[in-house]
Amino acid sequence: MYLVWLTLLPFIGAMLMPLVRAQGRSLQTLVAAGPAVIGLVMLGTIAPKVMAGEVPALRAAWVPALGLDVSLRVDALGWLFAALILGIGLLIIAYTRFYLSPKDDFARFLALLLLFQGAMLGIALSGNVLLLLIFWELTSLSSFLLIGFKNDKAEGRQGARMALAVTGGGGLALIGGLVLLGQIAGSYELADILARGAMIQASPLYPAALVLILLGCFTKSAQFPFHFWLPHAMAAPTPVSAYLHSATMVKAGVFLLARLWPALAGSELWFALVATTGLVTMVVAAAIALHRHDLKAILAYSTVSHLGLLTMLLGFGTPAAAQVAIFHLINHALFKAALFMNAGIVDHETGTRDIRLLGGLAGLMPITATLGTVAAASMAGLPPFGGFLSKELMLEEVWHTPFLGAQGLLLPAAVVIGASLSVAYSLRYLYGLYFGTRPDSFSQAPHDPGIGLWLPPALLVAGTVLVGLFPQTLTKGLVSAAAAATTGGTAPLFKPMLWHGLTPALAMSVIAVAFGTMALWQHRPLQKLWDSLALPDAKMLFERGLAGTIAIARALTDAVHNGALQRQLALLFAAAIALGAWGMAAVPFAAGTRPTLPAPPLAIIAWLMLLAGVIAVCMVQAQRFLSLIYISIIGVVVSLAFVYLSAPDLALTQISVEVVTVLLLLLALNLLPKQPPALSGTGRRLRDAAIGVVGGGAIGFAAYAVMTRAPLDPISAYHLANSKSGGGGTNVVNVTLVDFRAFDTFGEIIVLGIAALAIFALLQPASRGPSGQRLRAWLPDMPRSPEYHPMMFAVAARLLLPLASMIGIYIFLRGHNLPGGGFIAGLVFSIAMLMQYMASGYEWSTQRRRIDEHLMIGLGVLIAAVTGLGSLPFGAPLFTSWFDYFTLPLVGEFELTSAMAFDIGVALTVVGAVMLALKELSHVAQRAEKDEAHDDAPMDIDPAKLRAAPAAAEDVP
Amino acid sequence: MSSTLIAAPILLPVLAGTATLLFRRRRRAIGAGISMMSCAGLLAIAALLLARTNGAAPEAYALGDWPAPFGIVLVLDQLAALMLVLTALLGLAVSVHTALTGLDRKGWHFHALFQFQLLGVNGAFLTGDLFNLFVFFEVLLIASYGLMLHGQGAKRLTAGVQYVIINLVGSSVFLVALGLLYGVTGTLNMADMAVRAATLPDGDRGLLNAGAFLLMLVFGLKAALLPVHLWLPRTYACTAPAMAAMFAIMTKVGAYAIIRTATLIFGDAAGAFLLPAALATMVLGYAGMLAARQLRDMAAFGLLGSTATLLAAIALFDETAMTAALYYLLHTTLAAGVLFLLVDLVVGWRAVEGADIVPTPAYKGKIALGVMFFITAIGFAGLPPLSGFIGKLLILAAAQSAPLAPWIWAVVLVTSLMGIVALARAGSTLFWKSDTSPPIPASRAAPDYAEAAPVIALLALLALLAAAAGPITAYTQATAAQLFERQAYITAVLGTPDRSTAP
Amino acid sequence: MISMEFLIASAIGVLTAGGIYLALRARTFPVVLGLAMLSYAINLFLFAIGRLAVGQPPIYAKGLTDYTDPLPQALVLTAIVISFGMTALIVVLALRTFLETGTDQVDGKPDESPAEDQEGQP
Repeated sequence: MYLVWLTLLPFIGAMLMPLVRAQGRSLQTLVAAGPAVIGLVMLGTIAPKVMAGEVPALRAAWVPALGLDVSLRVDALGWLFAALILGIGLLIIAYTRFYLSPKDDFARFLALLLLFQGAMLGIALSGNVLLLLIFWELTSLSSFLLIGFKNDKAEGRQGARMALAVTGGGGLALIGGLVLLGQIAGSYELADILARGAMIQASPLYPAALVLILLGCFTKSAQFPFHFWLPHAMAAPTPVSAYLHSATMVKAGVFLLARLWPALAGSELWFALVATTGLVTMVVAAAIALHRHDLKAILAYSTVSHLGLLTMLLGFGTPAAAQVAIFHLINHALFKAALFMNAGIVDHETGTRDIRLLGGLAGLMPITATLGTVAAASMAGLPPFGGFLSKELMLEEVWHTPFLGAQGLLLPAAVVIGASLSVAYSLRYLYGLYFGTRPDSFSQAPHDPGIGLWLPPALLVAGTVLVGLFPQTLTKGLVSAAAAATTGGTAPLFKPMLWHGLTPALAMSVIAVAFGTMALWQHRPLQKLWDSLALPDAKMLFERGLAGTIAIARALTDAVHNGALQRQLALLFAAAIALGAWGMAAVPFAAGTRPTLPAPPLAIIAWLMLLAGVIAVCMVQAQRFLSLIYISIIGVVVSLAFVYLSAPDLALTQISVEVVTVLLLLLALNLLPKQPPALSGTGRRLRDAAIGVVGGGAIGFAAYAVMTRAPLDPISAYHLANSKSGGGGTNVVNVTLVDFRAFDTFGEIIVLGIAALAIFALLQPASRGPSGQRLRAWLPDMPRSPEYHPMMFAVAARLLLPLASMIGIYIFLRGHNLPGGGFIAGLVFSIAMLMQYMASGYEWSTQRRRIDEHLMIGLGVLIAAVTGLGSLPFGAPLFTSWFDYFTLPLVGEFELTSAMAFDIGVALTVVGAVMLALKELSHVAQRAEKDEAHDDAPMDIDPAKLRAAPAAAEDVP
Repeated sequence: MSSTLIAAPILLPVLAGTATLLFRRRRRAIGAGISMMSCAGLLAIAALLLARTNGAAPEAYALGDWPAPFGIVLVLDQLAALMLVLTALLGLAVSVHTALTGLDRKGWHFHALFQFQLLGVNGAFLTGDLFNLFVFFEVLLIASYGLMLHGQGAKRLTAGVQYVIINLVGSSVFLVALGLLYGVTGTLNMADMAVRAATLPDGDRGLLNAGAFLLMLVFGLKAALLPVHLWLPRTYACTAPAMAAMFAIMTKVGAYAIIRTATLIFGDAAGAFLLPAALATMVLGYAGMLAARQLRDMAAFGLLGSTATLLAAIALFDETAMTAALYYLLHTTLAAGVLFLLVDLVVGWRAVEGADIVPTPAYKGKIALGVMFFITAIGFAGLPPLSGFIGKLLILAAAQSAPLAPWIWAVVLVTSLMGIVALARAGSTLFWKSDTSPPIPASRAAPDYAEAAPVIALLALLALLAAAAGPITAYTQATAAQLFERQAYITAVLGTPDRSTAP
Repeated sequence: MISMEFLIASAIGVLTAGGIYLALRARTFPVVLGLAMLSYAINLFLFAIGRLAVGQPPIYAKGLTDYTDPLPQALVLTAIVISFGMTALIVVLALRTFLETGTDQVDGKPDESPAEDQEGQP
């Protein structure tokens, strides 16, 4: 359980930071330090067990479907890494307390730092690789925020984005790699994976998994060629650089290499990839470091170089080398963090980080100078410091490790070059800063800072000295335990000592020191040479690559999504044809056997009319009134077909819909251009015609194929059988609509109602804004008959109204048993009403209008719904119909059905919808004249303005 | 009697919608109240239904008391319940957001249209009848036309014309497919069609396949799959962002229809073209995100890409992949929704007009927006600790055994990186980089921070989705199992299979 | 001797072809006409799916045994109504857009620029 607390503590601390925001910095520092202190105590208590080889662990299921468990474990390796994270974290927090300038948001900074600390701890303690992935990504995110902490500076933002892109990208590769690894091993539990190394390396997926995982590790640990993001991450405040980018986060990659060592290491491929990458990184980065002038840049590249060294050692794949790697990991963390803080102090005191403007500070700030010198010496690998020991052991390993199978001097030579460069830049650092000539350009005389700033690095430096002097007593236990945990075996004998006789290793480091000093002595010409090389700037390459990618993305996007409707439709039609054809072609097709009906001459004539109509519409679509006439001819022919082929209801509906539609189009056309110029070129027309012909052919074929095969006992047989007995009506179509499938009809009238509402919403604002101006501009030149409301028409219309209503009611009543029904009745009635509007004008009719259409639509839908609900009280399901026969004097026997009520709802909705739509359309122009006063603001303005003047926005129309 | 509850997700919006029409349609406050109450009610009902169907067999409700397959049936199973809950959650968040930001005051009949949209979506999830599915598609579409155009303005209207036309053609294709299917099987009831399709004479199979593929095309159009995805970016970028947030569920209706019909009736024949199309769409979507110059486009293309990711998982068409897909469906719908809502807040709060990705002077609420944007981006890009990460892991793990596995992996991982980079660039430009012009005068009204409530709620939901991933994946696992064990569905609708079509 | 089935099938084909052609025009009005024509075709198609019959209206009467399939007719009725609502909406939308933008091109492009590049090249 304490493992959970150990992991959660930093996050809890981060949560607390906002609460103490108001308090002083010291309190905030205490709160922030809390998790580290408690955590270290916890680690201390379990240390003996862990060093003895026990592995305290905890496991709770989280997502079983995925194999992702909350699984934590502390072996010596995890313990070591956790201790580093917490220990150095503690010092950094203390250091920050005095480093950060008063205007910076201290609480926010600490919160982010703790967030990061928690994520790192998670990596160190995860016992499940998927869980590890989660913490891994969290470190990328928190480092993104920390690098961008000074987000008003461009380099801060760019550095942050670059770091996120590189490590985030690597993280994604790592996701792939670890998931693969888990699939191979059959478990995501670290313990299982580590136990199944042989099985994993035997798998055909091993190379893929390895490469993906290495991508993750190398990007995180800034290995060549992914090294370039780290120096730019130095835009972050120095404490961040010291913590994330030297001591902990960049070591996560190396840590993971060590973590998975038993599962992955040992193969040819492993050696080739890991050792080589490490070696190249070590040398290249060291060379760059020697030629930088910004203190933090020098340290950054030296970090990269040392990470390369660690990677190389792990790449060797031998337990001994791995053990050395662990040892050097500790040493590096000690002196490098100290150096960053040291550089921070110098920056803080002198106001510059350019080594060329610095020098001779030893006299001015002795404490800082001493600390810096010792740390740099350890980095250079000079005795008697920790760095020396690990370097010696490293050289020892290098000496008797065959490189890529070839025992030779290539590897040692390369390593010696790297080591000499490392000596060179280390010496340059301490010489350039603390000795040499002192420039008199300092604004104020720099002096040693307060203890708050130098104590933390001092502790680290003390560490590196002590390790150097008493390696056995101090580090033996920890290192060999950690090494054992890393390799999953027993650690080889660990014997670091300052003097170990005249060995090749000693010789190599002597050479390295000599070369290094010479390189420093000859630094000026070397620098010239280096500058003349004009090596490509990785950052520039990255930015350029990104810009290129974005340019490509834009080109692609604009090319594909050009916003042309024709393309969308053409693709849709083409896809439909292709898929239909594919479906047909997939299996053998059998032609139908159903006997066909002979076609009477009349039908053929009608067919010819239809053909002519279609062609005519396509031809004259430029003259729009004409095309309207032709298309109504087509409509008539279709209705005739329905009549002839025993579908009277369809015919009635089709024809009445026809009337209303044409009316609608006429009204719209009234305001649209009448004869616009054609747009499409001939090629385009031909292409479209081709698509049309193929599509038509396809659907025609499908229709014929279906019509000519015998039906496969369709469910409608049941409808015919039960229409009268169960539905109480003889018109099966109508019964189907209002009973069997009343639910469809219910949806259908809702669609109609919504259409009307949408139309209303569309046209209401039409009289304002640009469209209002257009309407007003358009009105005058509209041809008007001298008489606004022709007398004859008006009279006829009014006489017609009651008549039409009678017809409507009649059609409605017979609907259940004979062709007709609510929908058609509604249409007929609304046509009659519309004639009133047309004949007598809008005012006259609205004055006499009894009920508002919105209400009518609402009521219609509501009645239909209530009818549907009506059956519930009787314990029957929704929309269960009911009917019975009654006899009244005079009237005789008649039938009442619940379906009738439903049909009333239908009729009401239809009337309401049609009236609303056509009425709005018919007088949109007139209203424009009246509404001139309205404001012309477009309707979607930003809400802030709405708030500013809520009164204005209260009611739109 | 209590089985009537199955129809409640359809009835409640109808009543609420008509109520907003009847009660003083000029008083927006009443409308908003009704609308929000209805959404809350829907959430409660959906939760009840989920609890009821969890671990139970599917349940059919015969409307009009006509025995299936002759009448229309509603069917409640785990998938339907899941979709209902999701819809209700999103609907509630969006309706609250619109009420807070005053979007509903920018045009007519907003709340009625909104309710009818919910009605259509819920109906599509519940119905067990193919033609009835068509009707509900039309309901949700025409409502979406109204909502998409809500607020109007030249750009929106022009985009609306295209959106409406392309979908009208889509509906025609839907009807052709229905005709073919009825013509050869003689039924409209999905379960019945499943039974009949299995025993169809070989000579008729061609027509059946054609019908099935056309149906998939229509659903693909709704779900915005290459090559019929072109309508989505412009439509969603031009409508009000809050509406786009609601429309995040509509692409999922397409996905749902594909799942339902493929698992129940047609099998995975369509997978052959579904998977490549989905992968290609993913690339286009995330490339569009990278290319976007303004937030609305970025969100729209993001939705395109993430929906395609979902469809890729569905197209794998096995139980593990479906488990992953359903979990990812929950995540991506909410993540896309919150992204659009956030865009709306940015557009509303910041000093400059429009949604362009440009640095702005400091303004009130900029920090708060920045934090919300960061968390939203984490959620949308699929990074831990929010649910997207688990979703992507599930999909990757499920795809591992698929024939196209390397492709799927490559596309999923690369597009994720594209998304991360795009969002990081946008975020740092919008909230870190501050342009040099003087800060906004204090006179400008401070934003109403209450407006952020729905966004925060949805973000919390994403976190919950991750924290409770165990039980949730268990549910989706059971759902996937139920989907691939279709006999239970058929039995629930038709009773014992043998009397499937006896009149 | 031409069969009724052939006439209907070919009529459906012709209507569809015309509908597709018109739907692919660059101005809203012909596109609307095209959609109307498509819906004629679809209605005929759905209807034809129930197989053709002459003089057998689906009006139940004692003694009668032969009826045409009523279900497709019911479907067509629903389809007609829905497509009517949709047509109405798109007509008004087209008009409204024209009023707002001053162009009746489906891509909202103004009428000045040359014809070809007003249509995206698929």
